[in-house]
Amino acid sequence: MPHSERHEELVAAAALGMPLGADAGELASLLAGGCALCGALLGDLRVAGTALAAGVAPIAPPPELKGRILRALGPSRVPAPPASGAAAWRVFAAAAVLLLVAVGLDDSRLRREREELRSQSADLAGRLQTAETRLAERTLRARVLESEDVQMMLLGGKGPQPEARGRVFWSPQARRGVLVAASLAALPSDRQYELWVFLNGKPVNAGVFDVDASGRVLFESTDFPEPNAQNFAVTVEPRGGVPAPTGPVVLVGSPT
Amino acid sequence: MSQRRDDPDGALMIRVEARDADALAELYDRHAARLLGLARRILGEGGEAEEVLQEVFLFAWRAAAAYDPTRGNVLTWLLIATRSRAIDRIRSRKSAARTGARSLEELGADPPAADDVERASGDRQWEVICRTAVGELPGDQRKVLELAYFEGLTQQEIADQTATPLGTVKTRARLGLMKLRERLRPYMRSGSDAP
Repeated sequence: MPHSERHEELVAAAALGMPLGADAGELASLLAGGCALCGALLGDLRVAGTALAAGVAPIAPPPELKGRILRALGPSRVPAPPASGAAAWRVFAAAAVLLLVAVGLDDSRLRREREELRSQSADLAGRLQTAETRLAERTLRARVLESEDVQMMLLGGKGPQPEARGRVFWSPQARRGVLVAASLAALPSDRQYELWVFLNGKPVNAGVFDVDASGRVLFESTDFPEPNAQNFAVTVEPRGGVPAPTGPVVLVGSPT
Repeated sequence: MSQRRDDPDGALMIRVEARDADALAELYDRHAARLLGLARRILGEGGEAEEVLQEVFLFAWRAAAAYDPTRGNVLTWLLIATRSRAIDRIRSRKSAARTGARSLEELGADPPAADDVERASGDRQWEVICRTAVGELPGDQRKVLELAYFEGLTQQEIADQTATPLGTVKTRARLGLMKLRERLRPYMRSGSDAP
């Protein structure tokens, strides 16, 4: 489909976060492949829109705010140790640090090298974690995807968590479903996310789950309540779950 | 990855992704004032802007892995997150009372002279380029973009407020953003080939 001013209008409105109403479906179709340029243009226009913020004067935050934010990070706010599979790298990193000390490099050089090591270590740990997560995802997905009747639905962020996103894969025959989601907020210890399956507009509990420190989750519902699911949603609920949704919806499907 | 290391903010994001709270603190020191300025501009006084600022840095902590340097610099990423949250709050307000959001003219944000651009460097240069680009927009296009960006108005609401046909509002939004993109394209790290 050739790029047109109509496409640019829709993409510009989306980049500004304007509700599209009846045009939302048209934009989704464009972004899904109808317009080869629209996806990249949307990213560009979002960045271009931030130019408007450049004229706004900075305001020094209240002094206590920084501490409040850092305290809210929780116990994981110390630099993460390398994952178990990175033991060899730990040994190498330790040896490298000892070597630097031994040769008596000056303080600033040492700091620079240590920073680089920390950065490389973080890279390695991150790549390992990503690989492990992908492997786990594939394993779980495979159980569902092996089914000939597998179905999939995209979930989009809603309410307080517009950046959240996810997918549900489910097999009606196997009565098994897998939710893969990202960019979900960390919750207080007395709260959990709860997955709901909708049939004829009624939600049925499909299990509760927590997210990891990066806001990701791979949740397998082994006793899928409704094989003929028509939609899915995720809400924030008291830990342990509730029989009917009470909290805010943070992810919801877009049935076609 | 090397691209992120070459950029001070990008290097900080790598450390944030590795759960280094010192890096987040440094990122906060570098950008919190600008983000709070934006949030306060959209939400006005009353403490909500500070809440948004907190949400944004917790989001950065949580979703550092989602930051894609090819889509823009870290400040842009944080500005988008800030604006998105602030506008969500505006839209969720039941009260019709509007905040004290003002236009750039009211804030005295006149476009800088050309030699200002030459004097600027680093983040300041980006800021000056952006202000110049916004300042060069025709007034009607800038107005539509400001009403959408700072007040979260829909196209229909802008049409009503400015007594302008809806189609004209859509055109002005498109032309304004496309012009900003064109002006900023040399400074973007990636871009579409759309005309």
